[in-house]
Amino acid sequence: MLTRQISIATPIFLIIYVIQEAVISQFRLPGGGFSILLIFALTLAVLSETEVAAVVGFSAGFLMDLSQTAAGPFGQWTLIMLMAGYAISYIGYGDDNVQANATGIIFFIVIANLLVEIAYVASAALLGVSLGSFIQVLITLFGMSIWALLVSPILLPIFSRLHSLIFDARSTL
Amino acid sequence: MRNGGRARLLLVILIVTSLFLITLDLRGVKVIDSFKQGSQTIMSPFQRAGSVVLTPVKNFFSDVTHLGRTRNQIEKLQAENANLKQRLINRKNADAQLKQLKSILDLAGTGGYKIVNAKVISHGSSQSFSQTITIDSGSNSGIKKNMTVLSQYGIAGVVKDVYPTSALIQLASDPSFRIGARIAGTQQIGILTGRGTGAATLQLLDNSTTVKEGDVLLSRGSIANRPFVPGVPLGYVTSVDNSAGAVAQTATIRYYTNFSTLGVVAVVVSGSDSNPGDALVPVKPRVTPIPTVTVFVTPSPTPTK
Repeated sequence: MLTRQISIATPIFLIIYVIQEAVISQFRLPGGGFSILLIFALTLAVLSETEVAAVVGFSAGFLMDLSQTAAGPFGQWTLIMLMAGYAISYIGYGDDNVQANATGIIFFIVIANLLVEIAYVASAALLGVSLGSFIQVLITLFGMSIWALLVSPILLPIFSRLHSLIFDARSTL
Repeated sequence: MRNGGRARLLLVILIVTSLFLITLDLRGVKVIDSFKQGSQTIMSPFQRAGSVVLTPVKNFFSDVTHLGRTRNQIEKLQAENANLKQRLINRKNADAQLKQLKSILDLAGTGGYKIVNAKVISHGSSQSFSQTITIDSGSNSGIKKNMTVLSQYGIAGVVKDVYPTSALIQLASDPSFRIGARIAGTQQIGILTGRGTGAATLQLLDNSTTVKEGDVLLSRGSIANRPFVPGVPLGYVTSVDNSAGAVAQTATIRYYTNFSTLGVVAVVVSGSDSNPGDALVPVKPRVTPIPTVTVFVTPSPTPTK
């Protein structure tokens, strides 16, 4: 069972990583744009139990650290995404207020996206990574949240199906 | 609690692994660099393909951003403008060389830099708050880490990482970008720091010197011309902070380069033997007065019928 999940999840993660790096990164979107890998990992985390969400967060964070645009030390995104995945699943998994409808999940993903970026900014500040002026960081955070809000409803059905495919779940959103 | 003990154990193992990775990277262990190099080597063909395939779509988005003006027209005008600027720079450079250096430097070389041209194949995502681009030339073309990167107007950034067929460029707008700057003419020196936008901050090093609006900044250059060759135009002063409590004067600088429209850049693989000084300072275009044609009409003594 585990082998099957890993063999399906690995190429999906890699394809999404390639899409992020080779396609999404081609566009210099206003307000900082969005990360499809981040949204995918958060979606999977909210739909999975804590152990799985932690592994999903760890894997997504590892790929984000591999990205050439990662400014901080290798492992920073891994740590943040691992914690985020676990925390999101711990709060959201099994809670009907979150999982009962798509709107709840989208809202949860957007908030989680913002909190993950804030955690990145905070940890980057502790590690001495320059991120620009406070206003610029605020604008980017706001822009990324707006993008996540716009993109999540489009991506959610696809990611929900991918979740079902990986974990052989019977219901999709 | 759902599978509390097992989940917690897994979480602890993964956290320890993450912290281990951070420690390895901060200690400069080469394995991590190899990981990143390998992934970039694999990714660069995808990025190249993405750049080619998505160019029409990117142009469409750009057209929307520019409210109807077509990308081709803008690119044509930009190229024309750059050409005219280059002609003006070359003219000034030629005059300076003729007067001061007696035709030692080549007019075509402008600053005397040996360059490798490269196409931008990817703009870095802002998820990590960094400002980077990826170019389609790498170590196979002679590009090495810490080389100056030029745009058509001046500084673009510095080579941060090199792979066989691509290179990662840290843009001058990146908040962690630092460059030694010199004010053209007065020769005052300072440190220029990126802000994450098209503006930058200049911190003068000497508290007895002053800077004024409109002053042009050039790069000071580094030892052995790496990371920065001297004399590259950086930008101009847009405002000056004259706070009473400041140790030295600071100023806001506007870069000459427009970082969001970078399509082609040049990597300086070897600098000039001599410092080009202020020869690369962009010259403000002068308005040539057009002679007014005056027509005098003498009325005929007898009106025509």
